Amino acid sequence: MKKEFFAITFIVGVLLLAGCSTKPARLPFFGERTFNGKDTLYHTIAPFQFIDQDSVAITNATFKDKIYVADFFFTSCRTICPIMKTQMLRVYEATQNMPDVLILSHTIDPEYDTVALLHDYANRLDVKSSRWHFVTGAKDSIFKIAQTSYFATAMEDKTEPDGFIHSGAFLLIDKKGRLRGKYDGAREEDVNRLIGDIKILRQE
Amino acid sequence: MNWQLARPWRVVFGIGMATLVMCFFSCSSHDTKFQQYFSQGQSLYEKHCSNCHQKNGEGLKRLYPPLANSDFFKKNLPTSICIMKYGIAGEMKVNGVNFNKPMPGVPSLTELELAEIATYIANSWGAEEGRTTIEQVTEALKSCKTQ
Repeated sequence: MKKEFFAITFIVGVLLLAGCSTKPARLPFFGERTFNGKDTLYHTIAPFQFIDQDSVAITNATFKDKIYVADFFFTSCRTICPIMKTQMLRVYEATQNMPDVLILSHTIDPEYDTVALLHDYANRLDVKSSRWHFVTGAKDSIFKIAQTSYFATAMEDKTEPDGFIHSGAFLLIDKKGRLRGKYDGAREEDVNRLIGDIKILRQE
Repeated sequence: MNWQLARPWRVVFGIGMATLVMCFFSCSSHDTKFQQYFSQGQSLYEKHCSNCHQKNGEGLKRLYPPLANSDFFKKNLPTSICIMKYGIAGEMKVNGVNFNKPMPGVPSLTELELAEIATYIANSWGAEEGRTTIEQVTEALKSCKTQ
């Protein structure tokens, strides 16, 4: 009787410990997936080339083996962008000691947001260009990559007060260019979740 | 014992009480108006201003200047009212820091609304500058460079 009791207690104990040591939930993959007969292939960010606030060319290679957070904004926007930038600054500060985490902010108003203007903007935000790239480029390529790679809304609309419709989304991209999270960049709680998810992603 | 006051004292007492009551009403009506301006000002502030200047009035780095304990706002109330309505571009110094981002104005704001926002800013985050009146706003708007 006593032996059985100990055996059961032991088994239950082992199971409980095993339960504790399981890894935290894996982040989802966004977009279409295909199977090539051997592996599942996930949606990745399409090839791109933009110019950042230091006139440096920024491509997918910039983010090789890096986790990054992307968003779409424009400097003269007075609706949600300032809130997004306040929140992105929190991400920047929270990831200060993580050399494998970067930020990529695309302007959706490249006519107004020149390299010089983005340089001034980043400078006034007190952020380093090595960790937070503010990029500009051909308007069509920016709109296209927003919609087809990051699944974020960004387009011109003359009826809007500032001339654009765009989502305030923050997108989390893993080290292999795969979209792993989508957050509302205007909501503090959502951004807290993003900061937590970056830590989960770094464990992969 | 006789608790009745002598006649002259009764008159003094009556006048005293009346003064106290009047004082109470006039003070509380002042407070009601202030409270109205302040709370209307707060909701207008959160609609038009706090995206950039933040709910705590501290602004954002060197992009958006602070309004909390802002020497510029304290010293330049009329100009600040003009900026709310018509916007501003170019360099400006706030608490010793240089800012240079254009701010679009909100031309649809009425004189009452401008007075309410100014009252909210001037009495928040530790400041107690009192109520901004519509007359002050009318006067300020006459001085604006862009109209």
